[in-house]
Amino acid sequence: MFSAPESMPLDMPTFHAEISLPYTLTPGRAAGTFLAEMKNKRIVGSRMANGDIVAPAQDFSASDGEPMTNFVEAPQTGEITAFTRVDGNIIAFIRLDGCSNQFPHRILDQLDNVKIGARVKAEWEDGVEQSILAIKGFVLAPDAEVGTVRALDEVEEAIGSLPYSMALQYEHAYGPYYGRMFDEIKGFGRVMGVRGSSNDDALLPPREIDDITHKPTGTWKTCADTGTIRGCSIINMEFIGQTLKPPYVYAEIVLDGASTRLIHFIEIDDVEYAKKNIGPGTRVRAIWTQGERKGSMADIERFEVIDE
Amino acid sequence: MGHHVAIVGVGQTHHARRRTDVSQAGLVREAVDRALADANMEMGDIDTIVVATGPVLFGAVNHPELWVANAIGAQGKPIVRVTSGGGAGFAGALAGYYQVAGGYAGRTLVVAYDKLSEGPLQYSISTLYDPFWGREFAVGIMGFSAAYWRARMDVLGHTEEAAAMVSVKNRRNSIANPYAHMKKEVTVEDVLNSKPLCWPIKLLDVPPISDGAAAIVLSNEKLAAKSTQRPAIIKGMAYCCEADNAPERSLMISEPLAIAAKKVYRAAGITNPRRQFDVVEVQEPYSCFELNYYESLGLCPPGEAADLVASGATDLDGDIPVNPSGGCMGANPIGAVGVVRLIEAATQVMGRNESHQIKDAKLALVQSGGGWANLRGCAVLSA
Repeated sequence: MFSAPESMPLDMPTFHAEISLPYTLTPGRAAGTFLAEMKNKRIVGSRMANGDIVAPAQDFSASDGEPMTNFVEAPQTGEITAFTRVDGNIIAFIRLDGCSNQFPHRILDQLDNVKIGARVKAEWEDGVEQSILAIKGFVLAPDAEVGTVRALDEVEEAIGSLPYSMALQYEHAYGPYYGRMFDEIKGFGRVMGVRGSSNDDALLPPREIDDITHKPTGTWKTCADTGTIRGCSIINMEFIGQTLKPPYVYAEIVLDGASTRLIHFIEIDDVEYAKKNIGPGTRVRAIWTQGERKGSMADIERFEVIDE
Repeated sequence: MGHHVAIVGVGQTHHARRRTDVSQAGLVREAVDRALADANMEMGDIDTIVVATGPVLFGAVNHPELWVANAIGAQGKPIVRVTSGGGAGFAGALAGYYQVAGGYAGRTLVVAYDKLSEGPLQYSISTLYDPFWGREFAVGIMGFSAAYWRARMDVLGHTEEAAAMVSVKNRRNSIANPYAHMKKEVTVEDVLNSKPLCWPIKLLDVPPISDGAAAIVLSNEKLAAKSTQRPAIIKGMAYCCEADNAPERSLMISEPLAIAAKKVYRAAGITNPRRQFDVVEVQEPYSCFELNYYESLGLCPPGEAADLVASGATDLDGDIPVNPSGGCMGANPIGAVGVVRLIEAATQVMGRNESHQIKDAKLALVQSGGGWANLRGCAVLSA
């Protein structure tokens, strides 16, 4: 008989992380033209080789893969084919009159009034360009006439690229090994790892299984906050997400008593001096931050070269 | 033993620093159209599809294979996405190879791409680090790549001059490559005097950042003849990993690449790689990587890579030309690069490389990988 292991989830503090990134997205010709035409309050669609009309415009037919043949102006009326409510907004799939596809947008009405097959009409938001949100949403329009697809002789030039950004929030679970390691850093200002399955040197970060022997790791061990550089480079470039102003040294350091490397920074005044004097084998010491520790590797502010 | 697998059609985009005329999906479409035409096929002839790209954060589109499937007319076909950092294209090709070798597909389309002009590169790459352990100190892959190179300088003699020679050679070769966009000859002095980014890595040790896509059609041996009389047969292919935080990890040789090479060489009957291979294509995200690969692939013993490049043996007219296409120095759409290298090597053994056909090339070696040393693979292609 199968019996569940006697482990129960515990609610533990998490580690908050944010990944925040800027982008310049390229919509391509069809979507770029659709977006460019938003300021003219026109909904641009594509006529496909098989006669289908698709709006918003797409470069290729999703049904047979053939490229679009020409742009058309889709009507601003259509019908609801599906809907739901999200955060108080009604989001529906809408099929514009004469088109073969559906696309999602807001319905500007109460949920109780929305029905599958209901007629709708686009409502525009003044002042919004280059976004499908120039259409504020669709309003119920039971008496709206069935619109027709019209040929488009001239269209705006497609938008080449659009700014965009994403900020993603995470709550990472530490797990028992990382949890203890960071508790020890926070509470006692010491870096602890676990011994490998068959030797005394500590694995950092600590873990349950030894990577080399694939056997359970040993007991906990405090490492020194001094160590030796295995590899390092001098960072001169600036980039998005950087936490220290260049130049500085990126170093992979083996703490005394450990068998694996940790990554950290060494501040430098002089690049030429660092090239000559900081390299594999250089001895370094951790400089801890002043004040209350947070329980992360950033509680070590930096490493500095030991004058020996 | 499963079916023999051959590359029977290839296609790539003209890579560029920035393609604002096509979306990510439109870029893929260009490469797919070219590969299908080259293989004398239509989408209907394809049994399965592999889409390979770098991290989702590069382009801010989750599940991009769905967008791609729409744009290439792949509705209803079996499709999987493979991602593996810089080795994504190669890993995708390997996934396709398994499908054909295992008999699950007769013909598989592998398309790989990245559109790197759209997002912040080093920051996206830095998210490959453990969020608890190292990410706040990460410098993309450039920080640790430079650190390991620095360590190799002392022990293996991978000097700044030797790496500069790699950059000079590959940039020179790129000039004739119709798909490359970085086409400028440089000298060793230019490289040495270029702006340090993560010393010892300097600006001219680094390839361009590119938008690009590449596609290949894999076929079993029976169906291959319908596409070409001269396919490129995959004699062996492997991709291995190592644990990033493991003890005993060497910074000197790429262990996963050495393991992959051993497996692939045994399968392909390679005992003397330097003598047997006619041409080699490697993925060199920075010039210093190529030196490391010479040694990890057994083209020379450890510690002799600098001599090998200085001797001219890896030049276009040397006895073991490496990156006649120009490698990543001509164009570097990261997720696509593994497939680009396969295309360049395949067209060599097919006898129809567009820019730098090595005379009578029969046997080619391809290397690709992601991270500095974490994921590495190679393949042997034969006429």
